Amino acid sequence: MSELTKKTDEDVIEKPLPPNWILQHPTYQHLMNLDVGDSAQVHAAFLVYLDLSEVRQWKEVSGVGCSELRLVLLEGREKEGEPTQTVLPLPVHRGLSHRSVRSVLARGSPMLLCVVASDSSLVYQRMCDGLLTPDPPVGIQDQGRRQHRKRRQQH
Amino acid sequence: MDSPEQKITKTVSRVDASKESMANSRQVIGINFCGPTPLMWRADDLKSVRELGIIGTLVGSLARQPRQNTRLGRPLELLPEEGRLLADMGRAAVIPDSTNEDPEVNPEQVEQYHAGLENSFQEQGALALEDRKATLMRVMTKKHNENSGSQEDSDGAVRDRLEALAHGFSFPRTAMAVQLCTARAGLSHCPEVRRFLAADWPIPRDERSETRFRVFRDLRRQGFYLTSAGKFGGDYLVYPGDPLRFHAYFIVVCISMDESMPLCDVLAIARLGSNVKKTVLLCSSGGSQEDDGEEVVYTSLQWSGMV
Repeated sequence: MSELTKKTDEDVIEKPLPPNWILQHPTYQHLMNLDVGDSAQVHAAFLVYLDLSEVRQWKEVSGVGCSELRLVLLEGREKEGEPTQTVLPLPVHRGLSHRSVRSVLARGSPMLLCVVASDSSLVYQRMCDGLLTPDPPVGIQDQGRRQHRKRRQQH
Repeated sequence: MDSPEQKITKTVSRVDASKESMANSRQVIGINFCGPTPLMWRADDLKSVRELGIIGTLVGSLARQPRQNTRLGRPLELLPEEGRLLADMGRAAVIPDSTNEDPEVNPEQVEQYHAGLENSFQEQGALALEDRKATLMRVMTKKHNENSGSQEDSDGAVRDRLEALAHGFSFPRTAMAVQLCTARAGLSHCPEVRRFLAADWPIPRDERSETRFRVFRDLRRQGFYLTSAGKFGGDYLVYPGDPLRFHAYFIVVCISMDESMPLCDVLAIARLGSNVKKTVLLCSSGGSQEDDGEEVVYTSLQWSGMV
């Protein structure tokens, strides 16, 4: 009887993840098998993969190898039907050259740089080719004489 | 400044430099070097140069308002790129530095200068005395009108006072006003001579200066106005028109194609750009040749919107 109970208990409780669950994750192994980036960059790419697919619910997220740059890139769609975007995941301690940025941009899809910190926090930075005019500041109005009057009152 | 609606739809305006330069009769602009820094002193030159889209920074004190830095005066300090662009356009000439001349070579000039100073001193002394007398007269006349004493007495009193003043008055040297000329008529003054001097431009030949110059020239060609961007940690601020009329659109960071940028720096400057509503531009020059037609590549850092 007690053995039966034990068995059902085990069924209900989820098995705890092994400490090296990342290494066993199929996507991680796929990224490693691309045989391009070093392990730190692959690890960063995997974390970004999890963020995009699980947290942000992007569609069709997959890893691709870029032999020219010797890096793993990720591709995916933010929503169904939207064009594919390319994400460049990098650990924070690495440098980035303009030439690398241009090669990723040359692939043709909108580009995101994702920087992965040692505590696994992620920062995304969009990059595009050319001169992109910024959004204008909000709330611009001609103040007229108001500013002048304010200054006078101070003195 | 334009209203927000106009700015959104406005395309980059191209300054029609060719028309304006014809109107300017292509005068050559004189540039003085202080070490490696190009400076301009003549007001006419400052005006012409602005019409060419070269902004520079005023760095001098105003003679009448020295103890403030809200409004500065001449000289106009140019960016090395601005000076070099003017030289390449054939519009600028370096004025030779006359302070290196041996003062003993021109004893006549020195003598003339001192004689001129002395004359000025005498004139100013005479004018100051006249001024004092007039004030005295005015005060005494007012007193006389108030007191309404006898005519003869007051006349005598006035005469005495004036005489005392004339004898006792001395104009101190320290009160003398001295004119400092910002433009000296001389060898460099004539436009023909300036054209002759145009050949001599000191050009630094390291990669960074070269990249900066190419980016500057390319953006200027596209009709933008550029100033330095020290406040924003970049190389240039780029305006769609005269900086007095517009906010800057871009912060330019010049880098070489293969230079490795620390990622923290990229994120930091991109964040700064978002906060001040300017796009950060990473700019590199296409190749390392001396070619005039080298392409400049631009990458814009944009707010990702991903929190």
